[in-house]
Amino acid sequence: MKKRLYPLFLLVWLSLAAWTTPPLARATLGESADSVESDRRALSGVRRAATSRDGYTVHEAVSDANSVREYVSSSGIVFAIAWNGLSHPDLTLLLGSYAGEYWQAAKQTPRKPGRRSLQVKGGRVVVEKWGHMRNLQGRAYVPALIPPGVSLDEIK
Amino acid sequence: MKSNKIFFLLPLLLLLFGCGGGGGGGGSKTLVSIAVTPANTSIANGTTQQFTATGTFSDNSMQDISSAVTWKSSNTGVATISAAGLATSVAVGITTITAASGTITSNSASLTVTTAALRSITVKPANPIINIGATQQFTATGTFSDNSTNDLTSQVTWSSSNATVATIVSTTGVATAAAAGNATITATAPASLGSISGATTLTVTVPAGTGAANVLSITVNGSLCSSAFNASYPNKPCVSVTVCTPGTSVCQTVNDILLDTGSTGLRIFKQALSTPLNQIAVSSGALAECAQFVDGSSEWGPVQSAAVVLGGEPAVTVPILVMDSTFGTVPASCGTPAASPADAQLNGILGVGLFTEDCGPTCVTGANNGMYFACTGASCNGTTVPLASQVQNPVVHLPVDNNGVLVQLPAVPPGGTASASGQLVLGIGTQSNNTLSGVTAFPTNASGDFTTIFNGTALNNSFIDSGSNGLFFNDPLIPLSPSGWYIPSSTTTLSATTRGATGSPSATVTFQIGNANTLFGSGNDVFIELGGSLPGVSGFDWGLPFFLGRNVFVGIEGKSSNLGAGPYWAY
Repeated sequence: MKKRLYPLFLLVWLSLAAWTTPPLARATLGESADSVESDRRALSGVRRAATSRDGYTVHEAVSDANSVREYVSSSGIVFAIAWNGLSHPDLTLLLGSYAGEYWQAAKQTPRKPGRRSLQVKGGRVVVEKWGHMRNLQGRAYVPALIPPGVSLDEIK
Repeated sequence: MKSNKIFFLLPLLLLLFGCGGGGGGGGSKTLVSIAVTPANTSIANGTTQQFTATGTFSDNSMQDISSAVTWKSSNTGVATISAAGLATSVAVGITTITAASGTITSNSASLTVTTAALRSITVKPANPIINIGATQQFTATGTFSDNSTNDLTSQVTWSSSNATVATIVSTTGVATAAAAGNATITATAPASLGSISGATTLTVTVPAGTGAANVLSITVNGSLCSSAFNASYPNKPCVSVTVCTPGTSVCQTVNDILLDTGSTGLRIFKQALSTPLNQIAVSSGALAECAQFVDGSSEWGPVQSAAVVLGGEPAVTVPILVMDSTFGTVPASCGTPAASPADAQLNGILGVGLFTEDCGPTCVTGANNGMYFACTGASCNGTTVPLASQVQNPVVHLPVDNNGVLVQLPAVPPGGTASASGQLVLGIGTQSNNTLSGVTAFPTNASGDFTTIFNGTALNNSFIDSGSNGLFFNDPLIPLSPSGWYIPSSTTTLSATTRGATGSPSATVTFQIGNANTLFGSGNDVFIELGGSLPGVSGFDWGLPFFLGRNVFVGIEGKSSNLGAGPYWAY
């Protein structure tokens, strides 16, 4: 599994030229990190960095709209996504097979006027959004996929 | 004898005439007797006692003649007495107080000066609320170790914790209100009585209907909010804004506009607009925007040019978002936009936040910004937008008062109130009404965030947002309701440190969190102690309760004032 992740480390563009490279796909929650490569429907994101942490790896992709961070377990599964920026990313794409239950739960979650945060709980996935104009933030995670010893506080 | 008596009484009768007093109204009545009260009293050494002389006249009328008699203390080593009847203790002992006029002498009143110690001071009235410009007389009552009480108003030293809000005459206890907010009024006894002090909170509010050209009234709930939406949505600050077709006198005034320091630009629902506005075009079509507000929805619609009138200021022409969920095809990333004022529980949002444009340079160069779209027919695609075509803060375009705003809202008592009134003052340091001393500016970063240190953790995504209706943060020790409101068994006092994004300055903010279920059940709508959780781990959202009883400045990026260069928060 680690072998699959390895090519991702090569996809680190640090130069400004990286901004003009063709759109890059993003990984999808609950799927293997390979979905980064196989999914070419993506929003225009530029992969900036991959950071190894204890028990997982964080891959960051930056676009005009936001910065999206994918949390990939040592077994190669994307167990969480976090983002911040001008706008929230298209969750239908990022949530993959969890998108259906998310949108269904979102419809049943009443709007909360006056709140600047939202938590939507599907059967398996949790999506949280907070922040304000110019710095909208959020995260999505599948509790069942979070590796042992990893705290929710690390997903940010 | 008789003529002698009249001779002595003449000054007294003249005095009564001069004051328009005298029960009989004539000059024939004569003084028969004098009664001094209190007849038997004791005071602690170091304090005073006011005596009253009541005269009874030949026509059976009675009158306070305290300042017309001659007062005497039998033992001036125990207490002296002034011409007005105020006895001042000198040493422990007993003295007799009498009042005389001519040949008539009062009863003997006994005054005992004791060794009792001052235990506490009570300041009254407790927690008064007065308008700017009004005065308030405070009194201080001391309670002593022998359970006696004594008026210490003229013996204590009066002080105000916030001279910006209210000043107080140190010797008399008369406070004058200068600006909206809170001041702690303290009465401190002299060292001879043990330097004990007592205090209360004075709240200063803005009188309705008074406004300079750079002022908009705010009601938190109340008359400027739509009554249809009030019941379900506490701590909602509303203003009224006039929008006109640019270049014409075709205008309308829209109320129930949320005052929002957390966003930038004016957004109004199509259903609330009857005035035609001018669609803004970009090279690839009609400009539209998705503004995401994180409360479970988003706002979508065309961007149009409107002449906006704020208070008594000249109209400024700016792009605004006309919220219309039926406009074109809503991009997938925009989710489900609010469809109507009833859906969003407001007619619009006036964003007077830290920035000129809601997006800024990123949207000038990047088409996939997620905010701006160009629509041709029903098809809408991400687009770049020049700064001048982006939805923007109308304040920036005012001729003078363009470097920020000041939000002034009154404190509300524990348990809340039905509504509260305050004002939005345009400009910072540009007029006398937006120039305040004792204010500290906290610079933010380019995203509009500064730092809050709470429970030992530095939270770098902290912001001050009048559009948030509570204080939102994470404290695992406070019980939470299923809907994310804090519900402690009793109101709890907490504190945090706010810090500029540059690392300084720092200031402590003390706040209270009450039981939201109790508050919501009270029938009130404005609460200073309302709080809830915030997902994520790095934020603190200082919502509307932060504004209650404070002067809060929003300094706009790229502008400067006497408080510094924006973007900053100041309070």
